[in-house]
Amino acid sequence: MGRITPDEIIQAIMSQFGEAVKASEIKGVEARMDVDRGKSYEILLALKGMGFDYLNCVSSVDRIASGDLEAVYNLSSLNESAKAMVRVRVPREDPVIRSVVPIWSAANWHEREAFDLMGIRFDGHPDLRRILTSEDWVGHPLRKDYQDERLVPYEPA
Amino acid sequence: MEKTLERFYAAFAALGIPWIVPQLILMLVVASLVILFISVSVMFMIWWERKISAHIQVRYGPMRVGGWHGWAQSLADGIKLLIKEDVIPAGADKLVFALAPMVVFAAALAAYVIIPFGPNLIVRDLNIGVLFYISISSLTVVGIIMAGWSSNNKYSVLGALRSAAQAVSYEVPLVVSILGVIMTVGSLSMIQIVEAQQRIWFVIPQFAGFLIYLTAALAECNRLPFDIPEAESELVAGFHVEYSGMRFAIFFLAEYANMFTVAAIATTLFLGGWHGPLLPPWLWFLIKTYFIIFVMMWLRWTLARLRVDQLMNLGWKVLLPLAFLNMGITGVVLVLRG
Amino acid sequence: MEQTEIIEPFQETMEEMYVNMGPQHPSTHGVLRLMLKLDGEVVTEITPYIGYLHRCHEKIGENRIYTQVIPYTDRLDYLASMYNNFGYVLTVERLMGLQVPERAEYMRVILAEMQRIASHLIWMGTFGLDLGNFTIFMYCFREREKILDLFESVSGQRLNYSFYRIGGMPLDLPDSFLTDCKAFLEWFKPRLPEYDAVMTDNIIFQKRVQGIGKLDQKAAIDYAISGPMLRGSGIKWDLRRNDPYSIYDRFEFEVPVGSTGDVWDRYMVRRLEMAESVKIVEQALRDLPPGEIMGKVPKKLKPPAGDIYSRVESPRGELGFYVASDGSEKPYRYKVRSPAFVNLSVLPVIGAGHLVADMVAILGSIDIVLGEVDR
Repeated sequence: MGRITPDEIIQAIMSQFGEAVKASEIKGVEARMDVDRGKSYEILLALKGMGFDYLNCVSSVDRIASGDLEAVYNLSSLNESAKAMVRVRVPREDPVIRSVVPIWSAANWHEREAFDLMGIRFDGHPDLRRILTSEDWVGHPLRKDYQDERLVPYEPA
Repeated sequence: MEKTLERFYAAFAALGIPWIVPQLILMLVVASLVILFISVSVMFMIWWERKISAHIQVRYGPMRVGGWHGWAQSLADGIKLLIKEDVIPAGADKLVFALAPMVVFAAALAAYVIIPFGPNLIVRDLNIGVLFYISISSLTVVGIIMAGWSSNNKYSVLGALRSAAQAVSYEVPLVVSILGVIMTVGSLSMIQIVEAQQRIWFVIPQFAGFLIYLTAALAECNRLPFDIPEAESELVAGFHVEYSGMRFAIFFLAEYANMFTVAAIATTLFLGGWHGPLLPPWLWFLIKTYFIIFVMMWLRWTLARLRVDQLMNLGWKVLLPLAFLNMGITGVVLVLRG
Repeated sequence: MEQTEIIEPFQETMEEMYVNMGPQHPSTHGVLRLMLKLDGEVVTEITPYIGYLHRCHEKIGENRIYTQVIPYTDRLDYLASMYNNFGYVLTVERLMGLQVPERAEYMRVILAEMQRIASHLIWMGTFGLDLGNFTIFMYCFREREKILDLFESVSGQRLNYSFYRIGGMPLDLPDSFLTDCKAFLEWFKPRLPEYDAVMTDNIIFQKRVQGIGKLDQKAAIDYAISGPMLRGSGIKWDLRRNDPYSIYDRFEFEVPVGSTGDVWDRYMVRRLEMAESVKIVEQALRDLPPGEIMGKVPKKLKPPAGDIYSRVESPRGELGFYVASDGSEKPYRYKVRSPAFVNLSVLPVIGAGHLVADMVAILGSIDIVLGEVDR
């Protein structure tokens, strides 16, 4: 346990991919990186090579202020105590990221969920269908600008 | 008994009414009596099973309807089922769908003809009694397949196919297991089989046969641990998934009626029928029968369900060879004793 | 916004049959729908369809202030509400860097482990139902009822407790709780051999569950399986031990593991975990310190901008919460990584090639709660 430190992780990724890592930060045992979407797949593959065999979660965030959608990958390992968080931003007009299902099968349903609720499309996903809403649903409900005539805005009293 | 019947026929003959009329009247009376007995006995068994299961599961079961321990619960349920709307699924084969419960019930009913409740309490002492029961009980499967097929439901079909496979597999060890008894008695008549047990019940010399019969009989009645044709957690309810109301009630009635038949045959063949001290013969018969039913219920509420292939393995690879072995040994012993 | 894919019509051949299992089916444990491709009785393909219970849990979370989200977390895994509360408040506390008083930590662990026992009891009962054993169901519910009575005495609720608060606990334990809880544990311990008599030692039960639904270690990690399912595959991984949160590092307990990863191993892991939870509760009750139950928490909860992913070991596995804050009173983004959602995704792999009856047992052994899967 704990052979690799978050510092080393960031060093290794930076040295290998250089400019693709836009920002990095260490929080406790967690190495956090903002990476370019063009290299996200390769970076995540490299992280898996470092021992991050366990994909905890793929979240999606609507960063509407900057006009981006964000995918957040949380990685950990069953052998290391270090964790990693990788954020990938894509523009709202062209929300495509390369799918990581070939790296971790666990990403399958997470990416389907991100596609369904946030509208991020994962290139190379084997079965990119809506998962939580029905097949004929229009729009992506978790986007901040999602509108539905049935949706009553919440007004605190 | 014979004399009363002769007088009954003679009275009609004196009035110039053809013999067919008193015959029909007689048949109707007997059939009504049998149906009455089945209904009452099934209602009792359902209530009893609910009570037994409840006490096994640390609860009370029905306590309200009728006052004392909810004795009228089955009656209330029966009435409820009778007045429910009769639903036939749109895609069903209506004629077969309607016929299926009748076939199942008719088969269950017919088996009561040969049950000897007492020395004179038998509808008809056929000289092929056991054979009659075996052939009539396999009719149930026809009804079940009709129900499964006509419902136009995949779960029903699966259930019906499972049922057919199960019935075919378990009929064979069932028949072979009772051959030992028949060989010892040398007759298929139920009355003669009971009378042959005056000295010793066949459960002692034919213990293996008794166990095989009981296991196969459980499977015949589709009861847990062999209830895979209607396994509710897999096939929802199997062949009767589309049935409701009165038609469902008839299936239910037939199932419990079958249970009684199976237990009654076991009593006749292995537990000495009506023989017993002090109490009247019919009471002894019922006590023994209900004891076997109790064992069946006890098993149901204790065991898990077998898988379909395990069931087949048990039937063909374990029960059948054992039954043949039992038959062979019985034969050898009989020959040696001359 | 684009319209997505078209529903493919299922084509049947004479050899194969499609059976639609669910959303209303006795053993899908809720409104799960499985499209089964059957070859006779053998399931050759499973396609799960979820979302029948989707209620925009995450969107609701974005529109509520941090404290208001707690009652909604109850409805995620409604069989282990305490644990959802636990996971959520822990996430927000970590995000804000809040300290929780000692006594509150002990209360949290006691309630959470009692909840684990209750959840495993329900699982065991419904698993018995899947296999046709009704009696174990009633036994398990008898015990669970007593746990719910205890929870009722603590929180006033029996199912959705909303009992954890960010920074501590809202109410102290009632005076009767310590004695009641100890009495329950003493009463509960002899019940475990009873379950063994009905389930574990029963030859029919053993034959039904052994050797089916095997999940090897590699696939388990690949699919990020967690909780008893992962441990059933032989990986000694328990977040209470491997990534300790709250005060779990103070207690002594075993992490039971299986060997082959079949349904039997998953059953045994859960069965043994109940005894381990009893141990933890006993230690926590012994050490329970007096003192405050609510830490110093600002009146308005405004976590600093930033995001966090934090995880706890819920009865079903790794329950993670991802919370992104923009510095306001409401979470900017709030996502739940529910263990049942991830564990269910492996069903098409471990369920295919088995008989329908086995498929039901395998599905039961995953221990899904649809409230959590569909969110």
